[in-house]
Amino acid sequence: MPDRPARNWWLWGGSIAFLIAMTWWSAVGIGFSITELACNITGGTRLLQESWPPAFGFLPRLVEPFMETIYIAIIGTVVGGILAVPVAVLAARNLTLGPWVWFADRNFMNVLRTLPDLFWAMLFATAVGFGPVAGALALSVFTIAVVSKLWSESLEAIDMGLPEAVRSVGGSWLQMVQFGAIPQGLQHYVSYVLYAFELNVRASMVLGLVGAGGIGMILETQRANFEYERVTMIILAVLVAVLIIEQISESIRKKLT
Amino acid sequence: MSPVALQPRRRIGWATWATFIIAALFAWSLIAIEFSPGRMIQVPGQVARVLSFFWPADMAYGWDAVLPAIVESIQIAWIGTIIAAILSLPLALFGARTLYPRIARFVKLISATARAFPEILLAIYFVPIVGLGAFAGALAIGISSVGMLTKLGSEVVESIDFGPVEAVQASGGSRLLALRYAVVPQVLPEIVAHWLFRFELNIRASAVLGVVGAGGVGGVLLNTLRYRHFEKAAAVLILTIIVVLIIDMVSGEIRRRIIRS
Repeated sequence: MPDRPARNWWLWGGSIAFLIAMTWWSAVGIGFSITELACNITGGTRLLQESWPPAFGFLPRLVEPFMETIYIAIIGTVVGGILAVPVAVLAARNLTLGPWVWFADRNFMNVLRTLPDLFWAMLFATAVGFGPVAGALALSVFTIAVVSKLWSESLEAIDMGLPEAVRSVGGSWLQMVQFGAIPQGLQHYVSYVLYAFELNVRASMVLGLVGAGGIGMILETQRANFEYERVTMIILAVLVAVLIIEQISESIRKKLT
Repeated sequence: MSPVALQPRRRIGWATWATFIIAALFAWSLIAIEFSPGRMIQVPGQVARVLSFFWPADMAYGWDAVLPAIVESIQIAWIGTIIAAILSLPLALFGARTLYPRIARFVKLISATARAFPEILLAIYFVPIVGLGAFAGALAIGISSVGMLTKLGSEVVESIDFGPVEAVQASGGSRLLALRYAVVPQVLPEIVAHWLFRFELNIRASAVLGVVGAGGVGGVLLNTLRYRHFEKAAAVLILTIIVVLIIDMVSGEIRRRIIRS
């Protein structure tokens, strides 16, 4: 019988020690305590009683902000999806214009990705004022970040024969990208944009918490007034809507690939 | 003309229709939120004007107030990931169609529902239960990550090689032994890589939780912007970008090594 492969005890011990130390440090840092959780269970049950049953009478007033949420998601996806095309092409190593362009674009993409959607929403709400326009702009930036990252990777995996053929018959760089590269990556592009739309629908539900329009703004006012029956109603409506839109989008994506 | 040559033409027609519908929806949405061309022209100027207030960044405030908040965000994300990892490991095993065909369907339903909740909505419920602060945030992150980790984990389990499982059972091992010696060693590296990936996502998620009072750097950004302390907001953005970039790099490198070994 072959020997059991020897384990690297230093690596194992080090990783586990790090894991435990990090968890301990974090738990102390955020004030994690089981006792506190247990003591607050009574408060929790009271909250749950207050938030049930959902205020179904509130539903008609949700229609308008809900539609606004969908508008924000559509605008964000379309604008971001279009702007993501040049960003992704320049970030693909096999298509880019030069090492410096590639380097700059790659870093631009990474920085865009570090900030969460709500940070963009806060920034745009400050810049252009509270309302759906700020939300649409924030989701545009967020969509660029998501789509360009994913698509640049699938563009790097395309067959370079076609773009080279366009180049060799005298096509410009733009023609090479347009006729040689993009048609090969089109299916991926559509499925990534749909995926971004799913993320955007979900994000646009909460954008209103920082004043960027949509159903989240109603959620924020009801939460501030402790109208928890209404909060539950809003969250349930959001949940159902998100699940339906995801199912539709997912079935389109499956058909594409 | 042969039918093969006709094929592309039909597809182009389909794509044109899709483009037309999307353009119409887009235009309708723009009108509905009153995003007129006049308003559109103003936007770059407004953004540039606000951005000009951001410089110079107030880095003294950054070190004193922002960095502790970022550290708290990291701690929230870490604890949330740990909670989710512990809860999702058994769920991932039960969610595998190949191992438990009947329970798997039920587990998958739960994980799909959990995934539909944005963590910030969960935090809205946890804040009144456990009080304002980071603990509520960690719970919200933990619960909302369980769904995704269960889904990814059970997909990993479904893709394993069944040889070792049969070998353990053929030599008289129980179901539990088969899990321990044949399933877990095969799936653990990939599952740990998913945990790390989720940790990266959770850093971003925990950064925004401060908006509803669940600790972390989001609350600091919201307050600095609300009171128009733009130099302080700039410090928040700069430090957040740097810290997240570093964590992404380190975590990505570890993930690549785990998958390779």
